[in-house]
Amino acid sequence: MSGHDQPEGTFVMSVIFLAMAIAEAGVIVWLLVSRVRHGRLAPISGGSGQKGACEQAASRPASGIVSSRLYIRRAQSKVADLFFRSTPRSMLAGATVGSPAVGTVGRSSTGGATTADARIQHPVGGPRRMVTLRTFRWAVPLRQRLSAEAGVTSCDTIASGFQALWDALPLGTLLLGGQGEVLAVNARAQQLFGYEAGHLAGMRVSTLVPALQGRYAPPAADDSQAASTRGLVAKHKNGAEFPVDIILRPSPYHDDAEIALAFIEDRTEHFELLRNQQELAHLTRVCTMGELASSLAHEINQPLTAILSNVQAAQRFMAADPIDVTEVREILEDIVQDDYRASEVIRHIRATVKKGDMEFAPLDLATVVREVLFLLHSDAIMRETRVVLDDGDDLPSIYADRVQLQQVVMNLLLNAFDAMSHVLPAQRVVSITLSAQAGETARIAVRDCGHGLTVGKLDAVFRPFYTSKPHGLGLGLSISRSIVEFHGGRIWAENNIDRGATFFVSLPTGHAAGNRKSRYEP
Amino acid sequence: MNEADPLVFVVDDDDSVRCAFARLIRAAGHPVKAFASAREFLAGADLGAHPACLVLDVRLPDIDGLQLQRQLGRTLPIIFITGHGDIAMTVLAMKAGATDFLAKPVRDTDLLQAIDHALELAKQIHASRCEQATLLQRFERLTPREREVMALVVTGRLNKQVAGELGTAEKTIKAHRARVMSKMEVTSLAQLVHIVDKADIFPGAGRRMTR
Repeated sequence: MSGHDQPEGTFVMSVIFLAMAIAEAGVIVWLLVSRVRHGRLAPISGGSGQKGACEQAASRPASGIVSSRLYIRRAQSKVADLFFRSTPRSMLAGATVGSPAVGTVGRSSTGGATTADARIQHPVGGPRRMVTLRTFRWAVPLRQRLSAEAGVTSCDTIASGFQALWDALPLGTLLLGGQGEVLAVNARAQQLFGYEAGHLAGMRVSTLVPALQGRYAPPAADDSQAASTRGLVAKHKNGAEFPVDIILRPSPYHDDAEIALAFIEDRTEHFELLRNQQELAHLTRVCTMGELASSLAHEINQPLTAILSNVQAAQRFMAADPIDVTEVREILEDIVQDDYRASEVIRHIRATVKKGDMEFAPLDLATVVREVLFLLHSDAIMRETRVVLDDGDDLPSIYADRVQLQQVVMNLLLNAFDAMSHVLPAQRVVSITLSAQAGETARIAVRDCGHGLTVGKLDAVFRPFYTSKPHGLGLGLSISRSIVEFHGGRIWAENNIDRGATFFVSLPTGHAAGNRKSRYEP
Repeated sequence: MNEADPLVFVVDDDDSVRCAFARLIRAAGHPVKAFASAREFLAGADLGAHPACLVLDVRLPDIDGLQLQRQLGRTLPIIFITGHGDIAMTVLAMKAGATDFLAKPVRDTDLLQAIDHALELAKQIHASRCEQATLLQRFERLTPREREVMALVVTGRLNKQVAGELGTAEKTIKAHRARVMSKMEVTSLAQLVHIVDKADIFPGAGRRMTR
């Protein structure tokens, strides 16, 4: 094929290949996952087909017509690969920008490129994804020039047209030599590191990303596998450090197997978003604790009451003759227990309002729920609500942050309590059912006997600032959803057949949960 | 336990609080019976046998303290204890006849004083209930005719008037009346009227008198 014969052209091809540029009727759509990193830039399964597509494109430009049908199919399969791994690709046919599955949120235009933030909804009710769609014109001027300059070879044309694509890539891209020296950079990389193009060439990659120093070794033989390294620290020219993710690929079109491409994504915004989200979650936890203050005070007051009465009873027993030693010993034991109980309440409150990094660990779902019930015990009595827990049998452990998961459970329970405030006290029952589900997930179902939700509200309740309560902030469920989705799970609501509604949370367990570990660790 | 020994009931759903209260009250020398819920109390407590008072938590699952108070009426003095009482709740409880309303944690002297006071009241209630029972027992011995006669006599009617109303001879009424006096173990009409009033034998009597 022409690609192998002409190095410049093949280089162009390889970047097209790697960048997964999506061309449709002369428009290239670049999809960049800005929030969810599921399968980002991983090679499309059946890589040979992709390669074929590129080569096909290279062999045809003389005719001036790019096989748009082929690219559309590619685009759809790539979209499926990026966002809806589990979705049959056929379901995505036609799911392009503007279709109901893709809702555009914001759009900006610079230098002929259009950047749009879009919300993509899984067609069968799966998680939403936020993506950035970058669209820029490339093929149209190329085609125009082709017809004007008939003598130009296809690959030269691609190369000259490609400089625009190379520089428009939203990822910083470096071509690295076998010793880790920078051979070429694109405009985004210059911008990321703050150097001029000339200064970067020849520089060692370790100057830019210290962590790559000893680790630089392009993955061997299997060139369909890209090596991705997450949570690295990169250095700007001015010394500032910033978080990056890097994907390394050997360049399949260079004879020297050690020449590699490094794609560098700036993760600063991602981490800021994450931090903001955590701070918001923390704030709402503190708010919730504030609302629960009275019942939590009661929860501490109970053991204090018991301790006082026990001590005063003991004083009386000691004053008697003979002293009832058995009774006094029992009293002392009870005092110790009540003291533990009070400090346990305080420990739980502290853990809930503590501001700290997330700590992922294997958790027993039933214990997590019981701890929440412990804190809400008084609140439930004050609201004359009964809580029934069916903790399932031998649920596999889930991998999560305890405090955040408890925040979700507490939020669902308090909502259920609120939902039944207009119901007769005798009918105020919340049932929590924990169960293992197919596909390595565990499910929490919180069922109330309130008035249920109208069909439109089943989804609306998860929107930020949506509230049906006079004093609600409307953040509880929206934050719960962020937390659950961050844990790789789902949250949704259904109306019960008889009365009330049930809120479900499903979370990955065991093996599936363990795999997620790497996603959260910097 | 002697039949007349006063008894303290404790109803609190919190195990350790209930246990501690029971101990303290027992340490002060009162027999105690503790229950975890209003339902258990209603099912398990014998309210008639002893003079008794009730130490009751306001917030209880199922039936709360104030509901239980309504159900019991004024059959026994109630001391409310609450962890989160407000003024409205206190007023409600006191209006319905609670003898005290204490906040958790409660000092032993406060609780025991309240219990002493409540038990005094309980003894009075118990004594009058016993007396009432005796009087009712005597009343049970009367024949239906004697009861009719008694009902009219205690309204202040003369034998002749009673005879007229019941359509019989004055002499018969006189004999009935003598048997009523002896069966009710009284010697004067004034005593009889007092008994009827005390034991509330004719609940509708007040209406009849004003007719």
